[in-house]
Amino acid sequence: MHPPTTLEISSQVIPLMATLMLVVQLLLIAQRMLLTSIRLFAIQSLLLAGIAAVVAYYYNAGHVYVVAVLTIVGKVIFLPWLLNRLVHRIQIHQDTEPLLNAPTSMLICAALTLLGYSVTRPFTSLEKLGNNTLAIALALLLTGFFLMINRRKALTQVLALLTVENGVMLAAVALTTYGMPLVVELGIFFDVMVAVMVLGILVYRIRENFDSMDTGKLDQLKG
Amino acid sequence: MLLLTPILLVPLSAALLCLLVPSRRVMAALGVLAFATTLGLGIALLHEVLARGVVREWSEFLSADALSAWMVLLISVVSLATSLYAGRYFERDMAAGVITMGRVREFFVLTPLFGTGMFLVVLANNLGVMWAAVEGTALSSVLLVALYNRRNSLEAAWKYVILGSLGLALALLGTVFVYAAACKSHPDSLPSFNWSYLMSVARQLDPLQLKLAFVFVFVGYGTKAGFAPMHTWLPDAHSEAPSPTSAMLSGVSLKIALYALLRFHILTTACLDGGPDAGFSGHLLLGFGLFSMLLAPSFILVQRNLKRMLAYSSLEHMGLICTGIALNSPLTIFGALLHMGYHALTKPVLFFAAGNIHQTFHSLEFRVIGPGVGKVLPVTVVLMGLAALSAVGLPPFGLFFSELTIISGGLAAHQITVSVIILVALLASFCGILQQLTRILLGARKPGNHPTDARRMDGVPAMALLLGSLLLFSVWLPAPLLELMHQAAAIIGGKP
Amino acid sequence: MNLDPLNFLGQTLALLLLAPLLSGCIKNWKAKLQNRRGPRPWQVYFDIAKFLRKDMVISEHASWVFSFAPYVVFLTALLAGLMVPMISAPAPLRLFGGVLAVVGLLALGRFFLALGGLDPASTFGGMGSSREMTISAIAEPAMMLAIFTVAITAGSTDLSQIAQSTQSATWKLLNPAHVLAFAALFVVLLAETGRIPVDNPATHLELTMIHEAMLLEYSGRYLAFMEWGASIKQLVLMTLLVNVFFPLGLAGPQASVAALGISLAAYLAKLLALSAVVVVVETTNAKMRLFRVPDLLSTAFVLAALALLSTFLFQ
Repeated sequence: MHPPTTLEISSQVIPLMATLMLVVQLLLIAQRMLLTSIRLFAIQSLLLAGIAAVVAYYYNAGHVYVVAVLTIVGKVIFLPWLLNRLVHRIQIHQDTEPLLNAPTSMLICAALTLLGYSVTRPFTSLEKLGNNTLAIALALLLTGFFLMINRRKALTQVLALLTVENGVMLAAVALTTYGMPLVVELGIFFDVMVAVMVLGILVYRIRENFDSMDTGKLDQLKG
Repeated sequence: MLLLTPILLVPLSAALLCLLVPSRRVMAALGVLAFATTLGLGIALLHEVLARGVVREWSEFLSADALSAWMVLLISVVSLATSLYAGRYFERDMAAGVITMGRVREFFVLTPLFGTGMFLVVLANNLGVMWAAVEGTALSSVLLVALYNRRNSLEAAWKYVILGSLGLALALLGTVFVYAAACKSHPDSLPSFNWSYLMSVARQLDPLQLKLAFVFVFVGYGTKAGFAPMHTWLPDAHSEAPSPTSAMLSGVSLKIALYALLRFHILTTACLDGGPDAGFSGHLLLGFGLFSMLLAPSFILVQRNLKRMLAYSSLEHMGLICTGIALNSPLTIFGALLHMGYHALTKPVLFFAAGNIHQTFHSLEFRVIGPGVGKVLPVTVVLMGLAALSAVGLPPFGLFFSELTIISGGLAAHQITVSVIILVALLASFCGILQQLTRILLGARKPGNHPTDARRMDGVPAMALLLGSLLLFSVWLPAPLLELMHQAAAIIGGKP
Repeated sequence: MNLDPLNFLGQTLALLLLAPLLSGCIKNWKAKLQNRRGPRPWQVYFDIAKFLRKDMVISEHASWVFSFAPYVVFLTALLAGLMVPMISAPAPLRLFGGVLAVVGLLALGRFFLALGGLDPASTFGGMGSSREMTISAIAEPAMMLAIFTVAITAGSTDLSQIAQSTQSATWKLLNPAHVLAFAALFVVLLAETGRIPVDNPATHLELTMIHEAMLLEYSGRYLAFMEWGASIKQLVLMTLLVNVFFPLGLAGPQASVAALGISLAAYLAKLLALSAVVVVVETTNAKMRLFRVPDLLSTAFVLAALALLSTFLFQ
């Protein structure tokens, strides 16, 4: 495992893809149609897999390829398929009005991105890739949280959770050159799959019981 | 002889078998058998750990030191009691038509899975696998919380799963940071993610990075452990779940999350040892522990739902355990471990009794249950009363001794303010719980409020078993157990 | 101020002649994509010639602003165009302020366009002007932020300088700041030139027109200059996009005829590629409701803001 010779190209492509992940996140925040949101999530996961593949190629780390493949199989193919099936079963295709309208949400997300960047400023030396992908990972985390608060439909909250997860995996790729041990990656992978399945079951049951996915209706338990 | 692997495999096979078995009685029996086996294995593990120090299997993938062995015992005891109680509980629910056979099967499959997950958390050496196991317990318990498929259950389950998953995502980020710190001090190849390895290189890790990692891990696992202000899912989930599950959630799963947090706390303290912020993780634990302790009584006093009140009481006890560990003197840490054990014996009894009351009165609201439950369910109320006296910290029950140990340890370590705050909080919850419970348990029944199908002896075996052990262990701690706890306290205190 | 006369003349001619052709091409390709035959690409020349010949009908409520506006729109677009490097790197006109002057000139043109829409006191005109101002209120900051991003990376607000510095390190094309700024400017391009999804250039329905509404009262010579000015502005913005972000093949200061030829070919190719993208975007999207347009533009604004952030952080 030796440093790559074409470091310059990799040092441009990786932050580019990371920035595109953030752009997709912003589009997700402004998006109302559920099926398009799922597609955006798939694109974001594809970019993450791309970053993992580039890291694996340039640092000659074989098992990071496994991470890329797992991400593609799980988050680009399986999970969107699962979520699509769920959307068709519950017959709700559009989200309700978010708490804050799109321009305000956008501005808040810009502010959150700035916050993420400033928080990770002291840690730029820690990154293996030498670029501020850690800042983007944190921005993905914060904007994912915001998305979860801003939206009321249960399925969008599931997507927000998944984008937070994407942010954490991006941080993992950014910080650890050779990735994490395979057993950990597999553990995380299966956990995310099972988590979405459980969430899907819950969403379906909520839909059946409350006749809507609006989590604003889940307000009986207080105090 | 393999010891750790059977502890994992036995409940797992019980869960898988329950998928196939047709009858409810057999499923219940399987559960009891599985956890009784793990209890036996746990006792054997105790002796092994005392003899060898650390038990390792599968080239250090599974590792059990004194702290892990202690947790294994706690998990086994609570799960065993739950399985004993669950048989009768679901028989009654099915007879009343509240639940279908499919859901009952779900319970008996998920509960051993839940148990397996918890065992994996305490036995895994690899921090990433530990995270995956915590997530596994969270997911299995979510479906358990939503078992009744009522609107309130779904609401509670949804809050639980969203907050829990968010918290665990943060905990994963913290775990990644820790691993990155290890990578940085080991630039050539993949370092091991094992806790034992990280402890050995703790001094070489970057303190700043570990502090950042600990903050994320704290918020993440702290959410799962129910620290205020991340506790909002706790009363909902613990009250809406079926009573056996509530017992397991309050009894052990909070402690499992705390265990995961403790592993990071020990690591961070070892790394920062001797530096300027050596007490960083301790201070965080102290602050949030005290906050939880002070927050809980105010909610207890205004509660109108029995199980929610018990859930807030768990919040308080977890806060006390956390504070005891944060005070970082050998006496307080020992007191905290003792408190974990006694609380795990007490809280399930309260939840089982609440389950009986729920099935008799078909509600948990105080105004429906009304005063004078003692007239309807005398045996249950007697046992519940004893458990309540234990929970508020009255002698001769063990919780009194553990609280005394923590407070006197705090005073001995010159932490006067903290000890006073602990006393105040304990006093407040003492008043709160006793006031609420005496109001409903004692007195005469209101006219016209007589349920017809009170079953007096339901759940008594499980409750009596726990209370009996509580009384026994309050006055006599066998020497191996005492030694184990001292070793576990030493590990937490950073001097393994 | 360098006024190389040949450069100056050449660029002016290019702007005047190429702009209508570009509009015509876009109309033709859009039609082809929608399975129609569409007008010939050079039809726009004939249209402008026709307008120049025709008589004008002017509302009696109109003032001097009405007559002044078309010339302002035309001249500002032309002047802005002269400041953008088209074929050779140093643009013919270099006013103080560089890229800010370009933005300012275009803003001046838009200002007078809106005034011209309000002046004859027709309801459609007023409506069009207010809608245009709403859109530009968000599009302007986005454009400026995006341009500042490139300016900061290049270290100067002089457009020729920016183009040359980007040219020197080719891998900088993949710089996240550049990509984001390009995306933001592309959305602004759609907004400024009145294309779907922001505005429909082919409609005259009250509900849907913005740019056309402001032009509704114009006829004859004035209309010719308005239309020509709009197409020159479109060409200027497109040139800005292609030559500042992808200055491949842009000839340097003392270039040979062969280099100029290559530059011209590259420029035309890039322009056509960008037009193709615009056509595809126009055809695959529906026009957004006016209330939704701020959503789109605020996304562009945030993209531009992120681009600016990225310049500081990916250093």
